[in-house]
Amino acid sequence: MAASLVTEVPQSGFVFENCHRNAKLAKQGVKLPKPFKTGTTIAGIIFKDGVVLGADTRATDDTVVADKNCAKIHYIADNIYCCGAGTAADTEMITQMIASQLELHKLNTGRVPRVITGNCLLKQMLFKYHGMINAALVLGGVDPTGSHLYSIWPHGSTDKLPYVTMGSGSLAAMAVFEDRYKQDMSRDEAMSLVRDAIEAGIFNDLGSGSNVDLCVITKDKVDYIRPFKECNKKGKREGSYKYTRGTTAVLTSEIVKIPFTVIREDVTEESMDTS
Amino acid sequence: MNKEVSTGTTIAAVEFKDGVVIGADSRTTTGPYIANRVSNKLTKVTDYIYCCRSGSAADTEAVSDIVHYHLSFYRMELGEEPRVRVAAHIFKDLCYNYRDSITAGIIVAGWDKHRGGQVFSIPIGGMITRMPFAIGGSGSTYLYGFVDANYKSGMSKEECLKFTANALALAMSRDGSSGGIINLAAITKHGVEKIILTGDEIPKFNEEF
Amino acid sequence: MEYAQKAVENSGTAIGIRGKDGVVFGVEKLVRSKLYEVGANKRIFNIDTHIGSAVAGLLADARHVVDTAREEAANYRYNYGESIPLKYLTNRVSMYVHAYTLYSSMRPFGVSMILGSYDEGLPQLYMIDPSGVSWGYFGCAIGKAQQTAKTEIEKLKTKEMPISEVVKEVAKIIHIVHDEVKDKAFELELSWVGEQTQGRHVLVPDDIKEEAIRYANEALKEPDDEEDQAIG
Repeated sequence: MAASLVTEVPQSGFVFENCHRNAKLAKQGVKLPKPFKTGTTIAGIIFKDGVVLGADTRATDDTVVADKNCAKIHYIADNIYCCGAGTAADTEMITQMIASQLELHKLNTGRVPRVITGNCLLKQMLFKYHGMINAALVLGGVDPTGSHLYSIWPHGSTDKLPYVTMGSGSLAAMAVFEDRYKQDMSRDEAMSLVRDAIEAGIFNDLGSGSNVDLCVITKDKVDYIRPFKECNKKGKREGSYKYTRGTTAVLTSEIVKIPFTVIREDVTEESMDTS
Repeated sequence: MNKEVSTGTTIAAVEFKDGVVIGADSRTTTGPYIANRVSNKLTKVTDYIYCCRSGSAADTEAVSDIVHYHLSFYRMELGEEPRVRVAAHIFKDLCYNYRDSITAGIIVAGWDKHRGGQVFSIPIGGMITRMPFAIGGSGSTYLYGFVDANYKSGMSKEECLKFTANALALAMSRDGSSGGIINLAAITKHGVEKIILTGDEIPKFNEEF
Repeated sequence: MEYAQKAVENSGTAIGIRGKDGVVFGVEKLVRSKLYEVGANKRIFNIDTHIGSAVAGLLADARHVVDTAREEAANYRYNYGESIPLKYLTNRVSMYVHAYTLYSSMRPFGVSMILGSYDEGLPQLYMIDPSGVSWGYFGCAIGKAQQTAKTEIEKLKTKEMPISEVVKEVAKIIHIVHDEVKDKAFELELSWVGEQTQGRHVLVPDDIKEEAIRYANEALKEPDDEEDQAIG
């Protein structure tokens, strides 16, 4: 009995208990709200001393650009970051949950978390939810065993590759990588290659747009550069529609006095009653 | 993007006197897009047992991870290398019990000291059969005639490698969802010997057509 | 624990010998009443097709332990699709028996158990005692006359003997260690598992058993002569 009086703390994580109700409502003709889908270009490559991750910054809601400058490179651990494509809420939540698990793992073991551990946790969680968590990820980082880069699909399959792309703009971005990727590139080369790949997505894919974010992870430093490049700056207006003073001629003028009375009251200061 | 990633695949395995030869193409597809052109579908479950995966990438990866876990545990408890039959049996159990929710066609192959090289085929649905050689995946439909015509019992390791490479090359050239490079491996009592065939090394047949 | 050990020592002797091509079990089953049917209260059990077991101690406890062993073997077969290795089965049963020694609320099993198998051309023999320890043996004995039985087994070169020979020696040893003064009636139980049984654990067929008993009785007729000669 007492339990019903206690405020229930909502469970954290994913809850699917309304799925059946929603399906029934949809059948009855109720229009369901569409989730934010981040039509996206995300990419990553391994270079000489680390990993470069890149992402565009457009979030779409059907045909509307819902956010012109959102962050799609998520924190997983100090040495691991993860780009997300798919449903914005899902990529956001799953990266946060795995980040929390990895942090606890780090505290328990006292070791730097490994990228493969992150990959394992993510793929197991996604597999468990049968692809209902719509998150396509690019996971990259540097750990004591070296630089690693994984692509993770919503159903829980993963690939370990030297260069990967994901999202609706992945085809455009992959074309750039397939053309220009070399082994053991320098940091600057790698950064400009990822920038170009993301730009290919921004300019050629409807779902991607706005700016390029980059995250460069090396052995002892992480540079999260946001924005790395603003591709779609608002242009300056050349002309002006301001009218100069006196453009409109004054034909007549009239000044009307508004009647009012002044009431004056004096207030004396009193000390506060503290008894 | 939301389509399931699947290994539209060609996989093959052949028994020979002292072990097995296994092979696979390297193409992973999502619909018409090649998600990975250099994937490895020969997955280790113990030092002497590998599986060739076809079907949904997520499902087969998860299943082989679980089998890997079971066999590592088994190896600790029994203090000896698990037998190929045991590995195949665990694969079968998972594939059969979850036959309604997963898409996985798996060939389990390996070597153990009791029965030497063995190949087990576990098609979608979870049936299990031991075979002297097995083929699987979408590309295998192009291969039945070839393997029936060219398989001979008692082949050497080299002959088996050649046989497998030829079969894979033929399937990769006819099946749209197979392609890329050829991954081969020979498993014997000495462990695993991996061979990768790329570009020019892939056998050619009637290229002029 | 001591009482459990006592329970085993009061029971009729059981022995197991590992030969070249199999394992033979022999049990001196004491018949406490003439009213029992012939063959009642058997002390040799099948655990799985390829594993046999002979027990000494409290029969009720023994049947329970045998049941868990059978379950373990069946589970293994279900999970891995092949017969359980005896080493692993012994380990699992030992753990179970040992668990019963750990809590004040439970009493240990008053049972010692010999387990034998023939798998992939390899005969194996293990013994588990009430404390839950187990070891592999070439020959072992449990029950009343375990000491005498052991010394008798030690005289034999069991490692080189085929089980067709071992079975006679087992019958002989059981007859030797049987104390006709204290225990009047007894039935001999004989079983084996080996090459000639196609790896199945079965009771020794009647004709071979009769012959083994004949051999045992003949050998028993002239033990004194041999010993005299040895001393002389």
